[in-house]
Amino acid sequence: MIDVKGLKKTFGDNEVLKGIDEHIYKGEKVVVIGPSGSGKSTFLRCLNLMEIPTEGTILFEGSDITHANDRDINLMRRKMGMVFQHFNLFPHLTIKKNITLAPVKLGLMTQAEADKKAEDLLERVGLPDKANSFPAMLSGGQKQRIAIARSLAMNPDVMLFDEPTSALDPEMVGEVLELMKQLAEDGMTMIVVTHEMGFAREVASRVMFMADGYIMEQNTPKEFFENPQNPRLREFLSKVL
Amino acid sequence: MGFVDSFKQNFIEQDRWHYLANGLGTTLLITFFSVLIGMVLGFIIAIVRFTHDKTGKMKVGNFICRIYLTVIRGTPVVVQLLIIYFVIFASVPISKIFVAIIAFGINSGAYVAEIVRSGIASIDDGQFEAGRSLGLNYRQTMISIILPQAFKNVLPALANECIVLLKETSVSGYIAVQDLTKGGDIIRSQTYSAFMPLISVAIIYLVMVVVLSHFVTKLERRLRQSDRR
Ligand SMILES: Nc1ncnc2c1ncn2[C@@H]1O[C@H](COP(=O)(O)OP(=O)(O)O)[C@@H](O)[C@H]1O
Ligand SMILES: [Mg+2]
Repeated sequence: MIDVKGLKKTFGDNEVLKGIDEHIYKGEKVVVIGPSGSGKSTFLRCLNLMEIPTEGTILFEGSDITHANDRDINLMRRKMGMVFQHFNLFPHLTIKKNITLAPVKLGLMTQAEADKKAEDLLERVGLPDKANSFPAMLSGGQKQRIAIARSLAMNPDVMLFDEPTSALDPEMVGEVLELMKQLAEDGMTMIVVTHEMGFAREVASRVMFMADGYIMEQNTPKEFFENPQNPRLREFLSKVL
Repeated sequence: MGFVDSFKQNFIEQDRWHYLANGLGTTLLITFFSVLIGMVLGFIIAIVRFTHDKTGKMKVGNFICRIYLTVIRGTPVVVQLLIIYFVIFASVPISKIFVAIIAFGINSGAYVAEIVRSGIASIDDGQFEAGRSLGLNYRQTMISIILPQAFKNVLPALANECIVLLKETSVSGYIAVQDLTKGGDIIRSQTYSAFMPLISVAIIYLVMVVVLSHFVTKLERRLRQSDRR
């Protein structure tokens, strides 16, 4: 589904990604872990071209998006949902409008269809009574569940999560992870950057360790956590577990 | 001379109050249309400048905008008014009021532009990214997500700019436009009494400013609805 070849990304003279070759298959749940500043966000953001790779190519569903025009990039992004650490809900719009804005503006649904979809999604994320609230009235956990609903409104083929629970108070982490687990069970292809090792163990089909701009090691969660090979990974795991 | 006599002399005799009434109309007319021009110009310039800073596109547009901003903000509005009237429109038979509208509109645009630009810049980058990641293009993201928030943030500053402009139009007399200030001054020159006409003019400006400020505060409160916790 996503094919990454020789991906490099440099900011100024700071080489953040130093050559990544990776394939992500439909239905996979890939969890990316690694120390802060290792390039996890940059990797994720290169996948939907929020950052333009310095070198390398990315194929999404067979087409090269690194050399696509703006229009095709926008079409690609509809199919790649992204969930941010800080939610980035639109504070000036109601929850329902947050969810329906993109599908309506892009002409994918009428307002009525989108409203119906929003109601279904709000039901699904467990916040059916928040349709007419504004983001500022919600807790962090609720905001993130709405952000996920907003992405789902576009019917994406893959969802990218960049530390979706890192900005949350501990008691709200569970509700968001639970929702992500449901999504995983429903078959969504997911790439998740997180520090939640429990989630990685339970939900991931594959766990990657990123450090110094490379994917240093990857494996099934069981092998990854029980039998880490790379010394950097062992050290990292000893700190976080 | 008592208050009543002075009032009669300055406003009632020869229907001198017409100078104030017509002058007020002219002042409001000039302010209204120059605010419109200023807003349109200001938003366009702010968007060009922001787009340049954000994407590196629109190099020429950005360059022109910067010259415009430097010139307009670096020279007095009276001088701009005089130049536009006596130099640019010198050989064109044209309404003085129209010239004043153009001059104050162009002047205000520069200040509105910087206000709006700071408003756009104050919006968290995450808003932009959220819009783009949903597949909205640059334009759609600006129009649906960034500009409404930026507008809300700078509304008090914009309203302030309107109020400043309302008062600034009082120099229209330099090109012999009979606005409110000029109206009061004409009465003064006819009756040789300065207090009554000039204080009246001041009070009329003051009332307008106070009413306008009150209206803005109300509007702000309504817009803040979405920020309620
Ligand atoms: N827009 C940017 N401009 C310059 N440097 C950046 C930018 N984004 C990220 N970086 C740098 O890239 C490195 C990796 O950042 P990031 O991908 O956010 O790491 P992680 O998500 O793993 O913590 C950091 O050193 C960071 O300073
Ligand atoms: Mg990060």
